[in-house]
Amino acid sequence: MGNMLEKLLFQTLIGLSFSMYLWLLAAGLTLVFGVLGVLNFAHGSLFMLGAYATFTFYGKIGLNFWLSIFLSLLCVGGIGLILECLFFRRIYHIDLPYQLILTFGFILIFDDLVKIVWGGVAMIPPMPRFFEGSLNILGRPFPYYNIFIIFAGIFVALLLWFVLEKTWWGRTIRASASDREMASAIGINIPILFTNVFVFAAMLAALGGALGTPVRVVAPGIGTSMIIQAFVITVIGGLGNLKGAFVGALIVGILTSYGILLFPIFELFIIFVVMAFVLLVKPEGLFGK
Amino acid sequence: MAKKITRRKFLRDTVIGGIVLGSGLGGYRITYGQTKKPAGPIKIGGQGAISGAHADYGWQMMAGATLAIEEINAKGGILKRKLELKFMDEELKPATAVKNARYLVTDWGADFLFGIDSSGSAMAVGPVLPELDRLCFFCHAATHRLTEELVAGKGIKQVFRMVAPVYQDALAAWVFKDSPEIKRWAGINCDYEYGYVAWNLFKENIKKFRPDVEFVAAAWAPFWTMDFSSHISAVMAEKPDAIFATPWAGEGVMLLRQALMLGVFEKIQAWWQCMGGSVDLLEGISREVAADKFKGKLWATARYIHNYPDTPENKAFVSAFRKRWGKFPNYSAEASYSTIYAIKAGAEKAKTLETSKVAEALEGMELKTPAGTRLIRKEDHQAIYTVPGGKVTHSPDYPIPVLGDLKIIPAKEYFRHPPFTPVAATK
Repeated sequence: MGNMLEKLLFQTLIGLSFSMYLWLLAAGLTLVFGVLGVLNFAHGSLFMLGAYATFTFYGKIGLNFWLSIFLSLLCVGGIGLILECLFFRRIYHIDLPYQLILTFGFILIFDDLVKIVWGGVAMIPPMPRFFEGSLNILGRPFPYYNIFIIFAGIFVALLLWFVLEKTWWGRTIRASASDREMASAIGINIPILFTNVFVFAAMLAALGGALGTPVRVVAPGIGTSMIIQAFVITVIGGLGNLKGAFVGALIVGILTSYGILLFPIFELFIIFVVMAFVLLVKPEGLFGK
Repeated sequence: MAKKITRRKFLRDTVIGGIVLGSGLGGYRITYGQTKKPAGPIKIGGQGAISGAHADYGWQMMAGATLAIEEINAKGGILKRKLELKFMDEELKPATAVKNARYLVTDWGADFLFGIDSSGSAMAVGPVLPELDRLCFFCHAATHRLTEELVAGKGIKQVFRMVAPVYQDALAAWVFKDSPEIKRWAGINCDYEYGYVAWNLFKENIKKFRPDVEFVAAAWAPFWTMDFSSHISAVMAEKPDAIFATPWAGEGVMLLRQALMLGVFEKIQAWWQCMGGSVDLLEGISREVAADKFKGKLWATARYIHNYPDTPENKAFVSAFRKRWGKFPNYSAEASYSTIYAIKAGAEKAKTLETSKVAEALEGMELKTPAGTRLIRKEDHQAIYTVPGGKVTHSPDYPIPVLGDLKIIPAKEYFRHPPFTPVAATK
């Protein structure tokens, strides 16, 4: 039995690091929905662009890893800025199906654009030297990089909490999320705020993509492959709720990891079963209002 | 604004259409009616994945076929007719593949078809071939069902497979049967038919040689798995001696790199990466191989490797391919190259392009190809040739890793033979 407990504990740690990529993706998705009211299907594409940008700066040009991440955040933030100002701004007030068509269109455009610029072949840059190696946990090697990812995810969660709860900017975001007209009436510049939030969310997605580059493949479609899980997370946690997205990411990441260990035959269904259960019992999500 | 069709425009279009159609049919008649007068080129229609993460496989097909066509055209073509190639993207989608096949034959006028990466696409294209009355030479799709069910079972004689099928993946059973220290096997496999069949074939075969082996764990990864660490850690929890893995292309690279991070190669004695001998995968792990991270424990095969066999045909092919494209040929390139030569041999033996006669001419034929002598088996139209398994090694003679320490087992031993018994295509 002790052996089983050890297996589960190790699997929890592996699942935890997986959760963090999901969290970074889901955080931006839920933030944009919560504040802007747009369900952004193309959010996964921003994740992919973050990965490609980091790959280019770090793997191709050979810049420092941290600098590469920083530059890719700026690039994707810039793309987010263009997207918001030219396109998304026009769809805030219209029906959801139109939003889906526009955002879905961007998925196709970005996937093809990436193929034109970088080619269709999957690419993997080298792992930064200082992350090589592993820590011995329960007699098994646990990579330093996974430890780093777990802390990075928790750090972003704390940062988001601090920004939203403790800063003036965060208060304006929360105010306009709960009542757009009232916020506007007391002098908050809603269009600028929306642009900022969208750019910030794009950078979160890019960070998820960027942090994955040393261990994951960079290829067209990597964002779309994760966006489904990100949607499941936001549904479980409550659409538009950041705390929900964090808890949802933990649930989905760790349960997937357990499923692979314990029920390999039907592991793929598990998170959907959880989602269906949440929808039945609490349709607004665990932390939804 | 809807376009209005006037009577005049309708008449004009009908007349033009009639002329085009009529001349098309006329051309058709000349091709097949008068054999003495050399007609236009022989049209060869190919398709493969040329977009997406697996794009390199389709590109390799196009490159291999182009090279063969250039060589043959330089020497006068087939039956004194030049060859012409058109290559389309199958997108790994069965519906697209069928649409392409129909377009290539009925609109473009293809005399032969080849290519196809996905097994799903292959199983969809196979059944429409009798109606199109064209042969299709499959160059990558590996499902055993294509030849076992469609050809041997249903008698669809238009299907030929030039590439080694999923039997190749189970070669591990022969490579490791004499390693008594390897008893506990675990699998990390694709969560679709290819993964199920490869793993089941391997289990079935190694059990025959080694009743003492155990299969201690199996993890399943669907298409687009980015993070294999949960799969790796789940099977490593059972302390296996060796791992059998099917993820291919970029996914295979990622799986191996993540396994290195999790220290797998410190604990196991061998890792069999079925299609690890694929050029794109070897390229993806070349840094790690050069640094000996796998400690000589990584084994693989492929459906052809460029450093086997050591024959003049293979050397000539590899150097011509490298000269033409600046890359090493992968198995889909070799299979496509050999396909064009098979078409040449079949048409020249039959002295016609007629589908049924060329098919008959090819049955039981032995062809000298870069991958060695291919025997086209009569019962299932499967090309039989040997591809060794080997250890992934860094060699100073090559810019990317190669398979070394080759284990050569004759194809007759590890290929399945008719009459076929069903293989479980489930987890």
